Amino acid sequence: MPIIPAPVVVAKEASPLPPPQSAAALTDVDPHKAFGSKNAPITMEVFSDFQCPACKTLFITTNRRLMDDYVSTGKVYLIHRDFPLAMHAHSRVAARYARAAAQLGKVEPVEQALFQNQEKWEQTGDVDGTVAAVLSAPEMNKVRALVKGGALDSMIDKDFALGQTYRVSQTPTTVFHCKGQTYPYSGVMTYDILKTFLEQLLSQK
Amino acid sequence: MMQSSPFNLRRAIIWIGRLVLGGIFVYAGFSKLLLPNTHLWPMFVLKFSISMNISSFAQQVESYKMISPEASQVVAHTLPFVEIVLGLLVLIGWRLRIWAAAITAIMVAFLTVVTRAYLLHMDINCGCFGTPEKLTGMTVVRDGVFTLLALLTTIFVFIEERKPHPWAAPEKA
Repeated sequence: MPIIPAPVVVAKEASPLPPPQSAAALTDVDPHKAFGSKNAPITMEVFSDFQCPACKTLFITTNRRLMDDYVSTGKVYLIHRDFPLAMHAHSRVAARYARAAAQLGKVEPVEQALFQNQEKWEQTGDVDGTVAAVLSAPEMNKVRALVKGGALDSMIDKDFALGQTYRVSQTPTTVFHCKGQTYPYSGVMTYDILKTFLEQLLSQK
Repeated sequence: MMQSSPFNLRRAIIWIGRLVLGGIFVYAGFSKLLLPNTHLWPMFVLKFSISMNISSFAQQVESYKMISPEASQVVAHTLPFVEIVLGLLVLIGWRLRIWAAAITAIMVAFLTVVTRAYLLHMDINCGCFGTPEKLTGMTVVRDGVFTLLALLTTIFVFIEERKPHPWAAPEKA
């Protein structure tokens, strides 16, 4: 039976800043980690940590179907946000590699590899090897250069700071924006529950 | 229902047990349904909040690695309601022997499960309440105290209800 520990609380209490009220107000969106149309009626920001088992579950159980049914059909604009928790030794390293791969347009295979092999690399710390398994040698060299460059941390920190404005205290947390309303939800949702919610958001007047 | 009568230590413990355990069970049940996601309106948002909270609780149950994912879902969809009903029944005091015994049985089960997880050094949340809380030695101690209180309450309730009421007329020889 797979180990699926529950979401964990580790982030500090967020400062009481007001969250953005609509998708139009969203800032610091890395286009390489955003999917779908910016004009979609619903925007979803998913704050996750590559070493968090619940994030893995969310990614594996809902991401593909969400992409097929809502993102590629223009109903949802999906933004992947990094929220590496301090309690996870390798999650920031993994976030750097995913960010670097995103710059090359390879975020999907890398995110998938990181989540699928989470139990392996969290034991060994071999994030590099996990990512190298799904990229070509030239791509991997570029990724390593970007990771060593050090510029990615500021992007990760921006996501983390944004999460704090939404009072994200655990991963995964999904923030939905629709028709001027913002709904942050923490925890894993099954695709069926998510689908019902999205349909109701879409049918809202 | 317990009848009013002169106060003694046994009755004091029964009252404390009823208030503490009843209150905790009601809170635990509601918190699993309404925390950490607390959006309450409109109705579909409330339903999504509760679905998410139950889903998170199911994962916490599953993380103990004692039952299958399907069984975890069944537990997550029933336990919060059982806790609320049992807590209310114990607070009300109706058929106290039955419901105090039921709470004791549940507390023994909780204590067994968290002790096992603690001894196995499982890095998980305890799932005791709606908000995530790391399972530590303190969790085991806390559950141990509540289990002891539940056990004492149940034993004393059985003793009290077997005795004739102190204000009742003495039996004729």
